[in-house]
Amino acid sequence: MRCAVENLMRLENVSYRYHGKIPALSDVNLEVHSGDHIAIVGANGSGKSTLLQIMAGLRYPMTGRFFFNGTEVSERSLRDKGFLRCFRQSVGYVFQDSDVQLFCPTVFDEILYGPLQLEIGEEEGKKRAFEVMEMLNIEHLKDRPSYMLSGGEKKKVAIASVLAMNPQVLLLDEPTNGLDPKTQSFLVELMLALIEAGKTLIIGTHDLSLVDELRSNVAVLSENHRLVKIGKAEDVLSDEGLLLKVNLIHEHIHRHGEAVHKHIHSHYLFHRHEPQNRR
Amino acid sequence: MANKIPPFLLAPPTPCSIKQAKGKMRIPFLGRGINRLASVIREGYAQWDFSSQNGFFQKIDARVKILFLLFFILIVTLKRDVLPETYIWVFVFVLTLLSRLSIAKIYKRVLLFGFLFGFLIALPSAFNVITKGDVVLPIATLPRPYNFWIYHVPAEIGITREGIHGVAMLTMRVINSLSLSFLILYTTPFHEIVRALKVLKVPDSFLIIITLCYKYIFLLSKTVEDMHLAKRSRIVRELSPTEAREWVAGRIAFIFRKTRLRCEEVFKAMIGRGFSDTIRFCGFRKMRMLDWGTAVFLFLSGIFFLFI
Repeated sequence: MRCAVENLMRLENVSYRYHGKIPALSDVNLEVHSGDHIAIVGANGSGKSTLLQIMAGLRYPMTGRFFFNGTEVSERSLRDKGFLRCFRQSVGYVFQDSDVQLFCPTVFDEILYGPLQLEIGEEEGKKRAFEVMEMLNIEHLKDRPSYMLSGGEKKKVAIASVLAMNPQVLLLDEPTNGLDPKTQSFLVELMLALIEAGKTLIIGTHDLSLVDELRSNVAVLSENHRLVKIGKAEDVLSDEGLLLKVNLIHEHIHRHGEAVHKHIHSHYLFHRHEPQNRR
Repeated sequence: MANKIPPFLLAPPTPCSIKQAKGKMRIPFLGRGINRLASVIREGYAQWDFSSQNGFFQKIDARVKILFLLFFILIVTLKRDVLPETYIWVFVFVLTLLSRLSIAKIYKRVLLFGFLFGFLIALPSAFNVITKGDVVLPIATLPRPYNFWIYHVPAEIGITREGIHGVAMLTMRVINSLSLSFLILYTTPFHEIVRALKVLKVPDSFLIIITLCYKYIFLLSKTVEDMHLAKRSRIVRELSPTEAREWVAGRIAFIFRKTRLRCEEVFKAMIGRGFSDTIRFCGFRKMRMLDWGTAVFLFLSGIFFLFI
């Protein structure tokens, strides 16, 4: 089995329901190639996190199938030690809630956990941990327990803990959520650098400015949990009708001086005041 | 930024092979158990909240159902014969069928708990060492009877008719009480049960504690499941039982800390919305004809079972 092939991940008619009742994904088809950078966008509750967790082999489709490098990822195949090792080595997942991801006594232990699991040697593991900490400017947090970190620091440590494993595919769930502007722009830079380095990057977000900055391919999830469009960022972001339909932008009524007017609005992409909208 | 990226991240991915490890993974008992427990809690709660609204019992006012539950549990406790208990079981079974609940799911649990907390607990009392009576099934014969402390061990040890009756009675009572409880729980959303408890003059402070517990057990079980997934995402080999225990211990500490913080936040949120000392629930909708009719029917059925 090879781990670096063109068609890296493939989802075929994947559906998922929570508790067997609440729909999260419906008939999703998606292909990811090596080196792709894809943003999965959709409103809250559209199924972005569920889709990413299926691609990380943490949940299994209720119907449909998910393939990694041509091998179906299932509870059964991930019981195979060889495949599990190959899959986890290749796919890293950063959770939306960093709190649940950090379980080691200190930041350094946290970052070292993955490399030690991969049995790459303690020296090499420590070298990686220090290098990643230096890149993310968190060396000073080395000996701190995770519960004594701020939200942004936790996110950085969570990303560092996954990067230290050097996965080929990086899945990031709402990476900029709840972060201050400085940390957000730092993350964007980091993601661009990783894309430049040839990593396969898949992010789940409803932050259209992030999609715009990364210039990723975009997969749009509708509120009824279907993948309604896959295309280039510029095509998707210019499709106002689609973005309105999936609730990623909205009509906004507000006052400018004495004039009250209505227009399509997103905090990042659209803020046009068209003459015909003026009242 | 690109300059700061460590060389190992820029290097082409290490080729991996499924041959680098052989065999099947065994999931440690603790890891599996904690995740299973969280998922059972969540699924149980979801089942509770999303139970079908189309059945007979789902349409009935929660106050009627709570009073029915207490009345029938009292009747089940008062009956002294197996046959009336069986009639009550059939009655509850028919109500469960009318409510379009999953018989297999409910009775799997009822029979399991009935077996554990009814049959197994009462089983020793079937022997003549504990319950005196006619031995119908001899088990062992000793050379002579023994007496020590308050116990008398007869020469012939066996199961008595009175013992069998006692075990059957206790098992039936447990099964009936469980069937009644599951019928109510699976047909009534939790918030309605809590409000219905007001009818029984349960103090509001107690009800608010139950409500908060219900909400936060659900939230914490979600956190536990997420933590389990987060660990799985970085596990590439089998964990030793010691490593699994260490992880569980660490996570228990985390949950404890998180619970304490959440508790403080919830209390602040309550104060922020005007909480002083009095807890108020909004009132019930008016009882309809169907509710009154059902209440009368269930009451008369209860009286019937009481006197047969």
